[in-house]
Amino acid sequence: MPVDGGSSPSSTGPPAARGGGPAVRHVALLVGGAVFVMWAVATLTFFAIRLIPGDPAQAILGGPGSQASQEALDQVRLDYGLDQPLLAQYLAMLGRLVTGDLGTSYALKVPVAELLGAQVGGTMLLAVCSLALAWVLALALSLWSTGRGRIATAVGQGIELFAAALPHFFLAAVLIAVFSSGLGWLPPVATGTPVGLILPVATLAVPLAGFLAQVMRESLLDAMRQPFVVSARARGESALGVRFRHTLRHAALPGISLSGWALGWLLSGAVVVETIFAMPGLGRTLLQAVTLRDIPVVTGVVLLVALVYVVMTVVTDLAMRVADPRLAGEAR
Amino acid sequence: MHAALHPLRRPRTFGLAVAALVGAVALAGCQAAEPDASDEPVAGGTLRYASGDAEPTCLDPHVGGNYPQALVATQFLESLVSLDESGEIIPWLAESWQASDDGLTWEFTLRDDVEFTDGTPFDAEAVKANVEHLKDPATQSSTGYLALGKVDRVEVVSPEVARFVLTAPDSALLESLSQPWLAIESPAGLARGMDENCQAPIGTGPFVVDGWEKQERISLVRNDDYVSPPADARHEGAAYLEAIDWRFIPDAASRYAALQAGQVDVIDNPQPDTAAAAEKSGDPTWIDAPRPGASNRIELNSGQAPFDDERVREAFIAAVDVNDGIDSLYFGTAERSYSPLSSAEALAYSDPDLFETDLDRANALLDEAGWAERDDDGTRVKEGERLVVRFPVSTNQSVPAEQSLFEQVQATAKEAGFDVQISLLDLSSWYGALFAHEYEIVSAPYTKVGPDVLRILYHSDSITPAPSGYFANLAQVNDPEIDALLTDAASTSDAAERADLYERAQALILGGHYLLPLYDQQNSFLVANSVHGARALPTVSTPTFYDAWIAD
Repeated sequence: MPVDGGSSPSSTGPPAARGGGPAVRHVALLVGGAVFVMWAVATLTFFAIRLIPGDPAQAILGGPGSQASQEALDQVRLDYGLDQPLLAQYLAMLGRLVTGDLGTSYALKVPVAELLGAQVGGTMLLAVCSLALAWVLALALSLWSTGRGRIATAVGQGIELFAAALPHFFLAAVLIAVFSSGLGWLPPVATGTPVGLILPVATLAVPLAGFLAQVMRESLLDAMRQPFVVSARARGESALGVRFRHTLRHAALPGISLSGWALGWLLSGAVVVETIFAMPGLGRTLLQAVTLRDIPVVTGVVLLVALVYVVMTVVTDLAMRVADPRLAGEAR
Repeated sequence: MHAALHPLRRPRTFGLAVAALVGAVALAGCQAAEPDASDEPVAGGTLRYASGDAEPTCLDPHVGGNYPQALVATQFLESLVSLDESGEIIPWLAESWQASDDGLTWEFTLRDDVEFTDGTPFDAEAVKANVEHLKDPATQSSTGYLALGKVDRVEVVSPEVARFVLTAPDSALLESLSQPWLAIESPAGLARGMDENCQAPIGTGPFVVDGWEKQERISLVRNDDYVSPPADARHEGAAYLEAIDWRFIPDAASRYAALQAGQVDVIDNPQPDTAAAAEKSGDPTWIDAPRPGASNRIELNSGQAPFDDERVREAFIAAVDVNDGIDSLYFGTAERSYSPLSSAEALAYSDPDLFETDLDRANALLDEAGWAERDDDGTRVKEGERLVVRFPVSTNQSVPAEQSLFEQVQATAKEAGFDVQISLLDLSSWYGALFAHEYEIVSAPYTKVGPDVLRILYHSDSITPAPSGYFANLAQVNDPEIDALLTDAASTSDAAERADLYERAQALILGGHYLLPLYDQQNSFLVANSVHGARALPTVSTPTFYDAWIAD
């Protein structure tokens, strides 16, 4: 199961804190953890990028093929502090980050914050719509196929497995071939209108729905074997009513905890989807920045995605407590 | 059970209704326009262009100077001179020109009725400011800077006459000045500084940069006061089109799908199969515009073993068979080249006889050169060394069809006992391999107007790396006779003598087995049939939409 360590249900919520102000300690732990993660990400990115061959001064001057003169290279090294020792450059970057300054793009010569600010909206819209659609598809599939006999289960599991295994680039190509080139219903590249969003969202949502449905099925099955289902049925609830009113909540739990991971996963999927459907966004920004060795932009995108992960982990933590009152009781 | 399922039905029907509605709306929007029977140009409309090239990081082609910049700059910037289809230099912003007898000064008489779109007059001062801008290290120009290598300064003789003062005669000056990387921009625009000028350079062209939403589009609107088309344009005055919507669609399949769906009118860099289909059907129109300068070729590194031995170079070229691969992988859209120069160059010289595939000859040559033994893989061995040919390939510069062709090169060379090791690299790593001389063969495109590109690629001066590590003579040709021919050709003012010198130089380069020409640097466009009058400028084959109009 593709769950990263931090967001699996068992590790969610620290054990009840003893002593004074457990809520304060809980928040302090969360914030401290978040700051640590952000620092670690910034540090790893800074040093990892320098392992890639290529001179940043060259990158600033249009890449190694640009035949920049020695004067231009020297000037750029001085301007950007690239003549400083690595540790000094690292500390300078940390200092800027602390003050909220993400630096200036090497290639586009505009502030990174401004660049990302213009692109983050489109990508978040894409990711959130995809997550929502994935939820709808996953719920529909697992509610329909669970506990309906072997055939329905086999079909459901088959669909889940197939969907989860679909690579984005392939699914995108198939969707374009069918719905744009074939049927002519939908535009093959994004138009900035809701219609243009349908294919990109579907491309991201279908594989994710496969993952989500796989996890939901397990807990749904578990829940349906519980005595409260029998008693609800005995009270005269319909099968579907039981599913919606009683077992859904159980099925949703692992789904919710997966959603934090899923949103980050969607952001990486956005690199492919935004390129294929020619949508502006963080994914394309990242791809271009990596190609151009645009270190400040790469660092900025990575930090932003890390921030999304951190925030989503907190949000899912809270959402889990709402969906499962037992967890909330534990923490208090 | 039946009753329980019922609530689900309504949404399903509703979904179908929505899908049908969406489909109907989309279909209505995509309805193809009836072709207009008349050939009378229609004014108005927005042309939607989708580029597969990288989005420029700066719209001023003086800065850096690459092909994506040239593509879009052609719409709003203009040069002093242009080229017609036969390769003759024709007037553009300059009406006429005259070189001194010693070839050290050139006087350009400029049009006196042209203004930049910010109202600044176009005059000799503007030309001077542009040359100074290009030569200023702070501009970070590379293409334009190199092209002006022999230009010392520009003197203002009068507002209409600009005098170029050279340090040495330069027979390639006019060809250099025709390139979009040396286009003339408003001095007032340049004075705004690089950051602002990069966003919207100001020129004299038929369109004006109206806005640039990064990763989304560059909006170009018509310059209503336009008066300065090149001498080979088909009409005068303002462009027919009201605007150009310049988009970036990096994925080739999506780009083609967008053209088919009517979302865009023109795409560049089509895949060979779609280009071939369009060539057959005529819908959309295929505009084939190979880039000038060098042909696409595989160069053999003669600076180190094993290709420092001419017999081994000749053996490699005799062993490799590329013709079938070119035919099948490019679906007949690419023609085999036997010249170091693009077929777009009037002075290109071909010698097909040198490139006949002959495995027996290859084997005999290798035996003679001391590579007589073979190991278990069939690779030849000499004094314990295997006959390894490292081949770094840039995935940025070689399309998938070309990469497949290189695999065929690998397979056919293996029969003669070469172990060709292809490594697919991103641009920085690829340059890194070249700078470290970790290659035996390599394919590197080079676009430039005119045969002077031969001097850049094959003169021994180009073996010495620039400060960045870059060197253009990847074959490491070091032949005093070739050097002399290329130096003389670059400085002679006599056209016939120049042609003769370049032909002799090309014959020597080909005869030395330094390279295996493949085909022209592929460059083509697919244009929807509703668009008329679009063409590629004969300078660096960028598209121009000045004469274009959309039939309604």
